[in-house]
Amino acid sequence: MIEFAVFFFFAAVAVIFALVVVLHRNPVVGALSLVASFFALAVMYVLLDAPFLAALQVIVYAGAIMVLFLFVIMLLNLQYQREEPTRPIQQFLGYFGSAAFGVSLVYYISKYAVIASGPKTRFVTSAKTIGIRLFEAYILPFEMVSILLLAAIVGALVLTSKAAGKQVTE
Amino acid sequence: MAIDATDIALSLLKIAIVLGVMLQVTPIMAWVERRGSALIQDRPGPNRVGPFGLIQSFADALKFIFKEDIIPAGAHKWLYTLAPAMGLIPALTTIAVVPWGRPFRIPETIEYNGLVATVGWATAGFLLLLAFVVGAATGRLSHKPGVSRLNIVIGWLVTGSLAGLAFAIGGILIYLRSRYIVEVPAAGGRLFEPIVADVDIGILLIFALASLGVYGIVSAGWASNNKYSLFGGIRASAQMISYELSLTLAAISALLVAGSLRLSDVVWGQTGYFVLFDTIKLPAWNIVSPAMWISFIVFSVSAFAETNRLPFDFAEAEAELVAGYHTEYSSMKFALFFMAEYMSMFTMSCVVTTLFLGGWDVPYYNEPPTFIGFFFSALAFLAKAGFLMFVFVWVRWTIPRLKYDILMRVGWKVFLPLALVNIVLVALFIAKGWI
Repeated sequence: MIEFAVFFFFAAVAVIFALVVVLHRNPVVGALSLVASFFALAVMYVLLDAPFLAALQVIVYAGAIMVLFLFVIMLLNLQYQREEPTRPIQQFLGYFGSAAFGVSLVYYISKYAVIASGPKTRFVTSAKTIGIRLFEAYILPFEMVSILLLAAIVGALVLTSKAAGKQVTE
Repeated sequence: MAIDATDIALSLLKIAIVLGVMLQVTPIMAWVERRGSALIQDRPGPNRVGPFGLIQSFADALKFIFKEDIIPAGAHKWLYTLAPAMGLIPALTTIAVVPWGRPFRIPETIEYNGLVATVGWATAGFLLLLAFVVGAATGRLSHKPGVSRLNIVIGWLVTGSLAGLAFAIGGILIYLRSRYIVEVPAAGGRLFEPIVADVDIGILLIFALASLGVYGIVSAGWASNNKYSLFGGIRASAQMISYELSLTLAAISALLVAGSLRLSDVVWGQTGYFVLFDTIKLPAWNIVSPAMWISFIVFSVSAFAETNRLPFDFAEAEAELVAGYHTEYSSMKFALFFMAEYMSMFTMSCVVTTLFLGGWDVPYYNEPPTFIGFFFSALAFLAKAGFLMFVFVWVRWTIPRLKYDILMRVGWKVFLPLALVNIVLVALFIAKGWI
C-alpha cells in the first residue's frame, strides 16, 4: 500500500520533471529538472529491490554527469535558441505520427506481452556479490566498458589539444 | 518483522534527536569560529553580547530574521530562491546513516533511585532559573518605551515554555516517586539502535548526497546574475567533483577493513583491540593501523574540499570574489547557506570519526548494552566529532588559500594516486592478516 503510493508519487515526479526538461526554455532549469528526474528514478530502483543501483544512479548520473552538463551550460552561457515556427504540415505529421506510435505500442504490448512470474534466481543486491560477479562472470563487459571510457578520454583530449587549431581531419 | 507503532515512534524520536543536534550545530559553531579565530589571531573576539559572547549567535539569528530579503534584478527568481534549499537538503540528510551511539536494550522498568532524582530535580531547577532570568529581562524590557511588541511576546513565550518544561519534569518526578517503579510503555525490552537509517549501502548514501551538494552552490552562483557569483559557483563545482573522487577512494580503504558498506559494521569492526608484542593493547580504531594513515589524510583533506572550507574555499573566496556564490544573498537565504556549510562540516566530521576514529567506541571501556553504555558512547562520539570541528576552524585560520590551478592539480595528481596506492596497501595488509 505504501509502496503503491510511493511508486505513483515518484513516477509522477519523474514524468513531470522530464516534461520540464523538454518543454522549458531555460537550459539550466532543464538540467536541474533532469537531476530531479534521475533522483525519482533512483527511488524506483529502491522499490525494485536494488538499493546499490539506486545509490550508484545518484552518485554517477545525478552527481557527476549532470554537474558536467551544468558546468558546460554555464561556461558556454547557453541560452534558449529561438527556433523558427513550425509549419502546419510538420505539426500535423508530428502529432499524428506520435499518436499512432503510442496507440500501436499500447495495443501490441497489451496483446502480446506475458507478465513474467518473477526472476528465477533471487535478484543479486549486495555489493559484495555484485563485485564478485563483475570480476568473474562479467569480466568481459567490464573490460570493454573501461576501454570505451578510455576511448572517450583520448577523444576528448585530442579534440581539445592545441592541434585542434588546425583542421582535425579524423 | 512487522513494523508497529512503537517502531515508528522510536524512529521519530531518533529523527527528532538528530535533527535537534544538527540545528544546534550552526549557532554553536558560529561562536566557536569567532572566538577560535580571535584566539588564533590574538584578539578578544565577541565578548559584549553575553558572558564570553555566548549570546552572539542568538543575536545573529534575530538579525537574519529581521533583515530585508532581496531578490536582485535580473536574477532567476525560482532558482535564486531554491538554491539555499538545494544546498541545505544534502547537509541535513546525510547524517541519517551515521551511527552515533552504542545500540542498547531499552529497560522494561525505570526505578526511582538517587541518580534519577538528582538529575531530574537539578534539570527542573536549572530550567526554572533560566525562566526567571528571561522573565525578569522581558519584564524590564516591557517598561521601556519604543520596544517592539514582538520582542516582548517572544520573551514571555520563552519564559512560559521554560517554566512549563520545569513544572512538567517536576510532575513526572513526583509521579515516579509515588509509583517507585514504572514500566516503560510499549518500548520496554526493545533494541534501540541510535542510527536513523541503518541501510545496507550506508557509505554510498553519503557519497550520493555529497555529490548532490554541488547543485546548491552552482545554482546560487548562476541564478544571482553576478559575474563574481558565477565564477565562485563554477570554480566550486569543478573543485567539488574533483575531490569527490579522492574522498570516495580514501573511504574505500576503511570499507575494505570493515568488509561491509554499512556504517554500523564499520564501527563494530573498530571496537576490538590490537595487541602489539603481546603486551601493548591499542584500541582497534582504523587510524591506529599504519595502512590507514594515508587514507585518513586524503579523506580529511578531501572533506575540507567538499565542504568548501579553507584552504579550499573557492566558492566563497572572501577578498577575492567579494563573497563568491552567496554575494547576492541576504537575510534568511544567506542564513540557510551559512547553516548548510556548518552542517556539512559536522556531517563530514561525523563520517571521519565513524570511518577512522572508531565512531562511538570509548577506548578501553567495554560499553554494556544499557543506557549508561549508550550515554558514554554518544558522549565519546560527540567529543571526537567536536574535536574535528575545532580542527576545521583551526585550519581555516592558519593555512592560506591555495591557488586554483594548484588546487586542481593537487586534487587530481597527488590525492587521487595516493588514495589508489592506499587501497592497494590496505588490501596487502588484509591479505597478510596484519589488520
